[in-house]
Amino acid sequence: MELRIEHLNKTYGNGVKAINDCNLTIPRGMFGLLGPNGAGKSSLMRTIATLQEADSGSITLGDIDVLKDKDAVRRILGYLPQEFGVYPKVSAENMLDHVASLKGINQRAERKELVAALLHRVNLYDKRKSNLGTFSGGMKQRFGIAQALLGNPQLIIVDEPTAGLDPTERNRFHNLLSEIGENTIVILSTHIVEDVTNLCNDMAIICLGQVIAKGHPAELVREVNGSIWSKSIHKAELPAHLEAHRVISTQLKGGKTEIHVFSESQPDASFHAVNADLEDVYFTRIGERMELELV
Amino acid sequence: MFLEILKFELKYRFTRPATWAYFGILLLFGFLLAANGANASSEKAFANSAVTVANLLMTVSIFGVLIASAVMGVPVYRDIEHGVQDYYFTYPVSEKGYLLGRYAGSLVTLLAISLGVVLGLMIGYSLGPLLEWEEPERFGPLRLADYVYGTTVYLWPNLIFTGTFFFCLVALTRKIFVSYVGSILFFIVYLVAGTLASDLENQSLVSLIDPFGLFGFQEVTKYLTPPEQNTFHAPLTGNLLINRLLWPGIALALLLFTLFRFEFVRFLGGKAEKVKKAVSGEFNRGAAAGAVPIPPVQQRFDGVSYVRHMFAQAWIEFKSILRDPYFAGIISGALLFLFFDGWFGSTIYGTPSLPTTYTMLEMKNETYIFFVLVILVFYTGEVVHRDRTVKFDQISDALPVPSWAIYGGKLMTMVLVTFLLVTMVWILGVFNQTVQGYFDYDFGQYFTDLYLLTWPQYLVLMSLAFFVHVLVNSKFLGHVVAIGTYAVVFFVPAILEIDYNMFLFGSRPGYLISDMNGFGHFVRSVSWFNVYWLAFGTVLLILSGLFWARGTDNAWKSRFQRFGQDWGLKPALGIAAALAVFALSGFTIYNNVSVKNTYTSNEESLDQQEAFEKSYRKYDGFLQPKITDTELFVDLVPEQRNVKARGLFRIKNKGATAIDTLLINHSYDQKTVIMSVFTIDGIAPELVQREEDFDFEIYHLADPLEPGESALMEMVVEGGFGAFPNEGYQRDIVFNGTFLNNSIFPGFGYPSGAGISSDLERKKRGLEIRDYDLPPQDDAQGRATLLFGDDSDFVTFRATVSTAPDQIAIAPGKLTKEYEKDGRRYFEYANEGKIQNFWNISSANYEVLEDVYRNTNGRDVKIQIFHHKNHDRNLDRFMASAKASLAYYARNFSPYQFDQLRILEFPRYATFAQSFPNTVPYAEDFGWTGDFRDPADNDYAFTVTAHEVAHQWWGHQIAPSATRGANQIAETMAEYSSLMVTKERYGEASMGKFLKYELDSYLRGRSGESKFEKTLLDNDTQAYVWYRKGGLIMYALSDYIGEDRLNAGFAAFLDSFALKEDPPFATTADWYGFIQSVTPDSMQYFLRESFAEITLYENRALSAVYAPTPEANGKYRVTLKVDTRKISYEGSGEEKARPTAPSLIEIGVFGPDGTNAQGLVEKQPLFLEKRWLTPGEHTIVVYVDALPEKAGIDPYNKLIDRVADDNLIPVVKE
Repeated sequence: MELRIEHLNKTYGNGVKAINDCNLTIPRGMFGLLGPNGAGKSSLMRTIATLQEADSGSITLGDIDVLKDKDAVRRILGYLPQEFGVYPKVSAENMLDHVASLKGINQRAERKELVAALLHRVNLYDKRKSNLGTFSGGMKQRFGIAQALLGNPQLIIVDEPTAGLDPTERNRFHNLLSEIGENTIVILSTHIVEDVTNLCNDMAIICLGQVIAKGHPAELVREVNGSIWSKSIHKAELPAHLEAHRVISTQLKGGKTEIHVFSESQPDASFHAVNADLEDVYFTRIGERMELELV
Repeated sequence: MFLEILKFELKYRFTRPATWAYFGILLLFGFLLAANGANASSEKAFANSAVTVANLLMTVSIFGVLIASAVMGVPVYRDIEHGVQDYYFTYPVSEKGYLLGRYAGSLVTLLAISLGVVLGLMIGYSLGPLLEWEEPERFGPLRLADYVYGTTVYLWPNLIFTGTFFFCLVALTRKIFVSYVGSILFFIVYLVAGTLASDLENQSLVSLIDPFGLFGFQEVTKYLTPPEQNTFHAPLTGNLLINRLLWPGIALALLLFTLFRFEFVRFLGGKAEKVKKAVSGEFNRGAAAGAVPIPPVQQRFDGVSYVRHMFAQAWIEFKSILRDPYFAGIISGALLFLFFDGWFGSTIYGTPSLPTTYTMLEMKNETYIFFVLVILVFYTGEVVHRDRTVKFDQISDALPVPSWAIYGGKLMTMVLVTFLLVTMVWILGVFNQTVQGYFDYDFGQYFTDLYLLTWPQYLVLMSLAFFVHVLVNSKFLGHVVAIGTYAVVFFVPAILEIDYNMFLFGSRPGYLISDMNGFGHFVRSVSWFNVYWLAFGTVLLILSGLFWARGTDNAWKSRFQRFGQDWGLKPALGIAAALAVFALSGFTIYNNVSVKNTYTSNEESLDQQEAFEKSYRKYDGFLQPKITDTELFVDLVPEQRNVKARGLFRIKNKGATAIDTLLINHSYDQKTVIMSVFTIDGIAPELVQREEDFDFEIYHLADPLEPGESALMEMVVEGGFGAFPNEGYQRDIVFNGTFLNNSIFPGFGYPSGAGISSDLERKKRGLEIRDYDLPPQDDAQGRATLLFGDDSDFVTFRATVSTAPDQIAIAPGKLTKEYEKDGRRYFEYANEGKIQNFWNISSANYEVLEDVYRNTNGRDVKIQIFHHKNHDRNLDRFMASAKASLAYYARNFSPYQFDQLRILEFPRYATFAQSFPNTVPYAEDFGWTGDFRDPADNDYAFTVTAHEVAHQWWGHQIAPSATRGANQIAETMAEYSSLMVTKERYGEASMGKFLKYELDSYLRGRSGESKFEKTLLDNDTQAYVWYRKGGLIMYALSDYIGEDRLNAGFAAFLDSFALKEDPPFATTADWYGFIQSVTPDSMQYFLRESFAEITLYENRALSAVYAPTPEANGKYRVTLKVDTRKISYEGSGEEKARPTAPSLIEIGVFGPDGTNAQGLVEKQPLFLEKRWLTPGEHTIVVYVDALPEKAGIDPYNKLIDRVADDNLIPVVKE
């Protein structure tokens, strides 16, 4: 089973073209979706998650026409939206139990066992009786993860799942996700490039509603490897460098500004080659599409 | 600092759309109110009279509580809500500066917003004459001072007070919720004040406690005549002044308290604690957590589980509504109102009625229904948007539950809410009855009314709110649009005078529950309308289901895209089915209302009356025969609400010319009752013309009736009430409690008094203004015609009436025979002596109480009370009154002319008692269910019975002529007689309270008069004159010249006119003559001023002091300063003159109140004397033997005085 997106388009009422002829095939396993703010990641994910309509194009999941047969999708979907709220006066356990029943798990015992297991996995078991309204941001996020995993989802869409998690919880989540990702489709939207590097077999970069790169992360890195050069400059020198080179990123390091430049060959001796990583891929690709505000 | 904050607040407020929205709403509201000329009782007062302007501004300030709470509640709360407080309070701001700045800024905003209504009114009244929604001449000149007065004395003080209250509550408690509860509280205080006000004794207390000043204002304005209303500004004195100072004073105190209590730290306090507690969980890490495997599960997706989800969701949502503190707040407000409305219930003459089940049920239509609407709007919004409100929607909308199950669950939640709302009426009703010690709960009545008739109505109302909320798909805007929709649906038709129920969303014919007749014939009409609107609501609900918003993208484009995607054809079928039911029920209703009945709109009816008057007025006074003998054969079928009546009438030409044209006017339309047989001496006259709209026919007699000639006229009328009308009770024939009168048969001639009476309306239609319906006292034809029927003089009367086997049928006269035939029960009546052709036919399943009174002529009079089986509480009052009345009237006036007197109950579809010859039908609500347990309450059952019995003399012995003022001979005399009998029974002490109601009714009546006030001698239409003024004047007269002396005059009057079969019949000239003849010369001025003119006194006690005295003529010297004025008025209400001649007025000094034999509080006069006083101030010195407590002028309020309470004041030591 794979998720196939073809020529998908969506323009909002205010004229914003959120998805622009998007084509993507997503196989089983962890799939990373990278893109700047406002790139259309969330629009795309919401469309897959049956929460919004498309103007044209198609999405199929195996035999399911996602745009038409929403019910079928929802039955095998686990979705964690980027932003969500909770019912403040309901305990985590009761809420999960309720969602589980809505996900078609009719056996009370099964439900109970599943909810308990998930609560353990997101480390909320001790807090299961607490009302959701008392949860901190991180706990709420873990609750969100738990509800997305209820009921054997075959398609899991998680939008910025690790936002607000401390490092321990983030690791715990990554483990959980990769365990599940072995035989389901997991779409992970993020702007933490490192997460994609660590977790995903496959990925795509989205910008201005379009897919501008896709493939295996290592593969994509290989493509730019050898074309990324680095140099440490003084802040005042930056405009001149922006003028002269294709600067893809700037970073403060030890009080000086380190710039990365994309170039087939070494621009000049002051630059030294760096081992490209996914971040360089990201900045290179994005920079091809839009003016980056580097200053 | 204060100024900075104030400026910021103002800048912020005046850029907020809400501020302008409130302003705009008020502007529009004011404009509509004004341009419509709403809210004036008399046609002769301007729509924009000073009193109306002040009243409207006050009323707006009451509803402005909502705006005040919105504007004044939020300024400090805003900082918490937006999380600004975390840094805002770290700025160098002083607490008082912050608080006062916010307060002043918000208050200025609020007052500015309120100017919207002032502006709206001014624009509306200025444009009113141009728009012509109301007659242009109803609008007077624009008087700026009225608006300044109303705004500064009422509107602003009220808003300042309520606004300050809300501001302080929120600042002190940091909860916006309390400001809501606060506004409910004000309404409750206002309501309690209003309910207390229905008892005249509480007037001055009410004027003080009403936070809005409305009652205080009404206390001083309610008796103003129309011209006075145009310019009057209530002076700020007395109760009104105290009221205007009291409440803003409380507000100021509260503000000061708040200023000193308020601290930033405390204001921030609550939330910080909560957060701390929440974080503590973070440190609880189970190292082994990752090891737990996720178990495999079975998932099932089928209809059964979806339905289960639907129910489960409904239940969860319903529970969460129940737990919502705001809901608890609103519902407790609603229940409080329900309880208070039921607790105070309805009163008649200040006497409470029993808390019957139907009373409890009717209370839901008082204030409760507004809460119901509020709950429906707000909680539909809550339910529809619940997931979105907590931002859980992205998760829940992606769950594998079909939209119909989600939608269905939400819908069912609201169904449960409506169920709760109707059930509350039941619970509160039973509770209320129990608390009041009334245990005759009628659970069947509760069930039928609430679940079969009312629940559907609430569901229909809910469907509209649901529809609006789903379509609008934004909670706040949804509330606004939903309330707006309700307003449009309910008020626009009222403005446009549309009252055709099929066009008015959710509306249906009014109905009444009666103990006698139960739900009667109403269940059918109400149910058809319920079906009709439920079908309509179903269409709305299916449509809103189809447009149900799901997911993040609910632009209309996407909603149409989804339309039908997950639904298929089923909804289309549902809509088709609902439309079919809608059409079918609509057809049935239309068939009943407009085909089998005639529906006439108000405007159409006026047009018809105009056309009829223009074409047929020429027949007014046209010579017609008179009936001399009446014999009836009436077959009632109450089971089917049918009647067939055959009348054999001997008619006679009493005129001087031959009659060859008969004018027949029917009281019932052709669709209800038809005349199937009409013959004169066996020959059917020829129908020449029929006026369908007016049921008026002209017949030609081939063989004219010569002067003096008699003939036998036969009429058979048949029909009944099968189909239900748009509105109206159709009470004439009902299952149990039929009450027909002589108008079941048509009458002769042009219906006198018919036609449009409103001066404005007549002018508009080019009809001449008619000041009087009846001719003057010296009009020969008027004197030869009887007021209660121009078709006959006195007649012999026989009637055979059949009815259902379990009912008793009653007509005037002696019961001569009673038998059963063909399963029907027959009663034959024959009246001894002659009566007017003015009779009733009644039938119901009665129980009978009998007693005997020995008449002064030596014959026994059988007194019978025909009553509903459970209505036996007050029978002794009716019986005692009947006996006391017969005795008093026989002793003072003349013997009773019949051998029986029947009092019979009829269902509460009307509230009156009426006196036919020896028969008094009496409405169920008028005494039978009165609660007379408190002896201090007016025993109106006694008084009203005495009044009706008195009509056997005044109306039936002396039959008034059809001339101006003649009805005073019936009504004023009956009222006087009943007062005398009541006084005899309960003592003088009981009269004050009753007379207070008489005075109040009279003064209110004249202030709402739309033509001009008539006098006791020429009044032909004004009930407040013939009952109320008449009663007051006669009571005073009997006191001034002596009861026996006055009665001797009336006995002489009866001697001359009682049972006079031939003209001329009695006029007010005759009546007045007999009164004059027994009145001493010195008091003739009083007769003239009271009977021929309109005179009001302004008596006031200014001061009263006493000093112990060694002088021989008493132990205490009381020095009393009084002021007396007398004003005579034109009928229009303008002041005519201030007579300067002296009047005889009572002066009294009183000790502490005592109690009389009946246990009533009674004044104890130490000194009481009538003195001749010229208008102006007088100092009167009197000597009394006991310590004086009160003193004053006209202390018993015998004279007509608009401010009755200032006649008596405490006496203080010198």
